[in-house]
Amino acid sequence: MTNAKFLSITIKKPNKVLKITSSLFIFLSFFVISQSLWAKEIKIKLWATADRSGPLRAGNILEAANTLNNMLAAANADERVKIELIETNSKGYDADALQLLKAHSVGKTPDIALAAHEWIGTFVEAGLAANLESHIKTNSTLYEDIIPQLWNSVKFKGDRYGIPQDSEVRMFFLNNDLMRKAGKSESFIASLPSQVNAGQFTMNDLCDLAAEVKNAGAAKYGIIHRPNVGPDFQMAMASFGIDLYNEDQAKLQITKTGLLAYYKWLKRCVDIGAIAGDMTTWSWDSVHAGFRGGEGFSKFHGVWNLGAQLKAFGMSPTDKEAYFKKITWINAPAGKKGGTPSNLSHPIVYIVTNGPHKDLAAILVALASQHVPNTKHAVGTNHTPINYGQAAMPDFVEKGWGLIAGVPLLKYAQFMPNHSKIGQYNAISYQGVQGVETGEMSPEEAVEFVIEEMEVELGDDVIILN
Amino acid sequence: MASSNISGKYTNFTVFFLPAIVLLGGLVVLPIFLDIAVAFTDMAQTLNVSGLTNMQFRKFFKPVEDSMLGFELRRSFLKALTLTATYVVLTLVIFNTTFGLVLALTTTALSERVGSFFRAIWLLPRMSPSVVYALLWSWTIDPTERGLLNQVAINIFGIGPINMKLHHPMMLIVISNGFIGASLGMIILTSAIRSIPKHLFYAAQADGAGPLSITWHIILPALRWPLSYITIFQTLALLVSFEYIFLIMGPARSTMTMAMLAYTKTLAPGVGAGLYAYGAAITMILIVIGIFLALLLWRLSNMQRLITEPRIEVQ
Repeated sequence: MTNAKFLSITIKKPNKVLKITSSLFIFLSFFVISQSLWAKEIKIKLWATADRSGPLRAGNILEAANTLNNMLAAANADERVKIELIETNSKGYDADALQLLKAHSVGKTPDIALAAHEWIGTFVEAGLAANLESHIKTNSTLYEDIIPQLWNSVKFKGDRYGIPQDSEVRMFFLNNDLMRKAGKSESFIASLPSQVNAGQFTMNDLCDLAAEVKNAGAAKYGIIHRPNVGPDFQMAMASFGIDLYNEDQAKLQITKTGLLAYYKWLKRCVDIGAIAGDMTTWSWDSVHAGFRGGEGFSKFHGVWNLGAQLKAFGMSPTDKEAYFKKITWINAPAGKKGGTPSNLSHPIVYIVTNGPHKDLAAILVALASQHVPNTKHAVGTNHTPINYGQAAMPDFVEKGWGLIAGVPLLKYAQFMPNHSKIGQYNAISYQGVQGVETGEMSPEEAVEFVIEEMEVELGDDVIILN
Repeated sequence: MASSNISGKYTNFTVFFLPAIVLLGGLVVLPIFLDIAVAFTDMAQTLNVSGLTNMQFRKFFKPVEDSMLGFELRRSFLKALTLTATYVVLTLVIFNTTFGLVLALTTTALSERVGSFFRAIWLLPRMSPSVVYALLWSWTIDPTERGLLNQVAINIFGIGPINMKLHHPMMLIVISNGFIGASLGMIILTSAIRSIPKHLFYAAQADGAGPLSITWHIILPALRWPLSYITIFQTLALLVSFEYIFLIMGPARSTMTMAMLAYTKTLAPGVGAGLYAYGAAITMILIVIGIFLALLLWRLSNMQRLITEPRIEVQ
C-alpha cells in the first residue's frame, strides 16, 4: 500500500467550519503565546566596559532586573525587564566614553551606561544623560543614605545627572618602617595624619621628610607618583589653592600663582631628591614595584591599592593592625601652614539616558545602588562604600576594614570637574609636570607654557586667574 | 570593427582598473576629503558640528606683536614639526635605506642558507605583533634596575642606570622603528641584487675587480630605482607613523611628532582625546607636507624615467 493510498483511506476530509475554527484557534494561541513571550518584555540596554576587576558594576544591574521582575511577578504585572548587556573592550573609561558618544551620535543610545563621573558634562551637552533630580527626589528613601559628598561628583550646573556606583579615595601612602629606619619616632609617625589635617604639616614638609628618609639611606625613592596623565595630580594642585572648576559659570579655571607654587614644589622635591626627575618615564610596573617592594617612602594613588599592598607585604587580608603598623595614610597636605588638606575621589557612576525607558532604567539603577549589591562590589574591588550604612555591614567589617578607614578621608574629597574639556586640561597641566621634573623647563617657563596651551586649546572653556 | 575594439578597451579598463579605482577612491581619496571637511568644523567629543570654521587652524599660531606677520607658530607645533623632521630623516637615512642596504649586501654575499637565516632574524621585528614588540622594548629600556639594559649596564659594565626615555628619546624611537623599517629595504634590495645578471659579476671578477669595486660599479647603480622607491615610500610612511612611538614612549613631550599630536588629540586613550576636528587639521598639515615631499623626491630622483615606456620594443 502506498502512502497516498493509506492517507486517502485514513484521513477524512474536514468540513469547512471545522477548518476555519481550528485555524482561528491556532492563530489565537500563537498570538497569546507570542504576546506572553515577547511583547511584554522590556529590553533595557546596559553599556559597560568589560572590566574583570569590577564585574559587578554591570552585574548589579542584572541582579536588580531580577529583583524588579520578582516584584512585577508578585504584582501580577504583565511586563518583564530584560537587560541587554553591551560590553565594550575599550582601554579605560575615557576611551569608553568616546565610544559611547559615537554610538549615541548614530542613534545606538543605551538606556544605562557606566562611566567615569567627569564625562557627565559632555554627556549632558550631547543630550545623552538624563537629569535625575526628580527621580532622586521621588525615590528619596532609596538614596537618602548615600554619602552626601559623592553627589558632587554627578552634578552639572547644579543638577544631578548620575548615581555614584562606587567611590574611592586617593591619598599619600607613607611607609612607616622606612621612617623608623631613618630615625623617626613612633609618636612623630602617629601624629602625621592629624598634623596634616590641622594644616601644620605642609607639602614642603612632606617633600623634606621624603628627602630625609631617602638621603638617610632608608629608602631608595622618596615620593612616587603615577607616570602618566591622570586625576591624582589634582589633589596636589588643590593643596596649592588651585580650584579647577567655576561652578557658577560651569567653566574650568586655573590660577597662575597656584600653578607656579605647585610647579615650584615639584622642582624643589626633584632638587632635594624627594621625587626622581625621571618619574614620568617610568612604567606602571616600576611605579607599583617601587612602593610595594618596600623601596619607596611614599606613593600617591588610590585606596584600591590596599589588596595588592597586603599581598606584596605578605600580610593577611584581615590583618588591619599589621598593615597600619607599616603604612600611614595621609591626605595631600596643605600648600601653606594653616591651609586645608585635600584628597581626590574618582567615582564611577551610572548614567541614565533620555530614552523611552528612562524611568524604568533609573529604578534599576536605584536598586543596584542599595547596600547589599553595592557592598558586594565594593568589598570585592577595594572601593569605599557609597552609602554610610554599608560600613556597618558584616562583609565590610570583616573584609573591608581598609575601606572603612578610608571613609573619614572622604570629608576632604575633591572631584574632577564634570566638564567636557577636563581631559585636555589634565593633559596640558601634566606637560608642565613632565617639563619641570625632567628639567626641560623651569617652573616659570612651565606656567607660561601651560597657560599658553590652555588659552589656545581650551579657549572660552577655561578661566585664567592670576 | 572599430567600435568593438573601443568597447573591448572599455571592458578591459573596467575589469582591470575599476577595483583599483574603487579601492583608491574609498580608502585614500575619500578619507582625505573627509579629513579636510572635518578640519574646517568644530567637531569634538559629542560629534556635534555647529558650522564651518577655521578655528582649528588658528590654534597653530599665537599673536605676537613684535613679529613681522603679527603672529608666529606656537612652540608646541614648532617642536612637533622639528621632531617629525628629525625622526623621519634619521630613521630613513640610518636604518630604512643605509642599514637596509648593508643588510642586503651582506646577506647576499653570504651563502644562500646563512643569508636567509640572517634575513629571517631581521624580519622578526616586522613579524612580531606591535604590542609585543613595544612591550619587549619597554622591558628592555625600563629606567629602573628592572630594565634589561640597566641590568647589563650596572652588573656587567658597572655604569649607572641609563634612562633612554629621558635622555635619548629620539634615539630610542629611531632605533625601535628603524629595526622594523630596515627589513623592508633589506627585502627589496636583496631581490634587486639577485636580479643583476650573474655574468656581470663574473666579468668584473675576471677583470680583477674586488668586492668594493663590484659593489660600487655594478651593484649600487642597479639599486638606484629600488633605493629611490624605498626613500619615497618610507618617507611618507614615517611621516604618519606613531604606533611604536605611542606604545613605547606614551604621550611624552620629547617625542610628540605631528602624527603623535594628531593621535593624542583624537583617539589616544586617557590624554584628553576626542578633539576630532583639531586632529583632522593637524592631519591635513601632514597630508600637505606628504604631498610636497613626495613630489619633491619624485622630481629629485627622476622617478618619471622609471615608468616611461622603453624606447626599444622587444618582440
